[in-house]
Amino acid sequence: MSLSMEGIRPHYPDYSNAPMQRHFSPYADNGGSVVAIAGDDFVVIGADTRLSAGFSIYTRDQNKLFPLSKTTVLGCAGCWCDTLTLTRILTSRMQMYQQEHNKTMSTVACAQMLSTMLYYKRFFPYYISNVLVGLDNEGKGCVYSYDPIGHCEKATYKAGGSAGALLQPLLDNQIGLKNMEIIGDSKLTIEKATNIIKDVFISAAERDIYTGDSVIINIITKEGIKDDKFELRKD
Amino acid sequence: MFLTRSEYDRGVNTFSPEGRLFQVEYAIEAIKLGSTAIGISTSEGVVLAVEKRITSPLMEPTTIEKIVEVDKHIGCAVSGLMADSRTMIDRARIECQNHWFVYNENMSVESCAQAVSNLAIQFGDSDDDGAAMSRPFGVAILFAGIDEKGPQLYHMDPSGTFVQFDAKAIGSGSEGAQQSLQEVYHRSMTLAEATTSALTILKQVMEEKLNSSNVEVMTMTPDNFFHMFAKEQVEEVISKIS
Repeated sequence: MSLSMEGIRPHYPDYSNAPMQRHFSPYADNGGSVVAIAGDDFVVIGADTRLSAGFSIYTRDQNKLFPLSKTTVLGCAGCWCDTLTLTRILTSRMQMYQQEHNKTMSTVACAQMLSTMLYYKRFFPYYISNVLVGLDNEGKGCVYSYDPIGHCEKATYKAGGSAGALLQPLLDNQIGLKNMEIIGDSKLTIEKATNIIKDVFISAAERDIYTGDSVIINIITKEGIKDDKFELRKD
Repeated sequence: MFLTRSEYDRGVNTFSPEGRLFQVEYAIEAIKLGSTAIGISTSEGVVLAVEKRITSPLMEPTTIEKIVEVDKHIGCAVSGLMADSRTMIDRARIECQNHWFVYNENMSVESCAQAVSNLAIQFGDSDDDGAAMSRPFGVAILFAGIDEKGPQLYHMDPSGTFVQFDAKAIGSGSEGAQQSLQEVYHRSMTLAEATTSALTILKQVMEEKLNSSNVEVMTMTPDNFFHMFAKEQVEEVISKIS
């Protein structure tokens, strides 16, 4: 019977013997950019508030910064559902650590934990660009950036997310003072770092359709975390 | 007295009407048969000293290992059933390594004691809750370590209870030794002082005559961490006390 059916109606999948294929895409790219700059006794992190899918915008007001402790903040860009899950697990791990060891997890410990948590999903990774910032055990500002499977790199400044590749060279020049002929010896202040973050986001919003609307900035010092918000173009 | 106990002293998960778990109490008694171990915590570091019972002249004393390294910054001395202590030390080592792996930092001494304590109370005679042990462990442990709070000494008994101490003795001579420790201990003690005190007290409570092959001495300091005394070093301390 199958022989007679074959060739007659090959385009009806129900009557075909050809292997059936189904597709499921577990990931979404909801865009967003994160920029972080560390100083001697502070660290500033900013993330835009646009959440999008392709050419449509889900919301113009989504905070992508997650304070994990008084000295640690995580910025996430990428698949939003993965971000939600990861940050909830992280929050609970922070609390479990606090209760188990009677102390708050340090930024350094949190950075390592995030790396192992990401690697434990090596073969079904969280599709997120993570930038973790905070003050280390000596009170110095530090920035850790991750790839989706947990590779961790410590830096003093980092741009991640959809405009990461666009902004990193800008930071290399402005913060890392790369390719500069005349280098002044002015120290990086909170004001300067905040202004650079605002500037680079303006640039990103010009070119990257997944970055825009506004920027939420967290300034972390030993006094705590301070919030700042800044409007970007909305088109 | 034996008659009143007989009903309830078998099950490890059955309280007696007076609210006691006899098997756990017996386990605590069991460690009083073990060799004496002394720990003293000072501001410079922690010292552990234990006696080794050489029951036969044909025995190789170095194969008795009663002070072991758990991690670079934590060491422990055990008294009681040595075989049981292996399981506990294994757990302590795994927990320390796991903590380092996940958090890239040294595990605190208290957390290490907590982790071992979690293992110590996993006894019971039911089969359904996994790999439960049939009886409580027959060991007491002294944890000596350095963490962000400085040098610390913790004591844990078979019931899983762990408490921080300035100075603590466990094992057969523990009662007399604890009394002596109370007399000799003071807050401004140096590590060298503590080491001689520990060996002096050990000498008093030991049945055998103290020599460099029937004691083990270890210091835990912020600079050198786990340091096991060599035979010569032990002899040096012994020469000071006699």
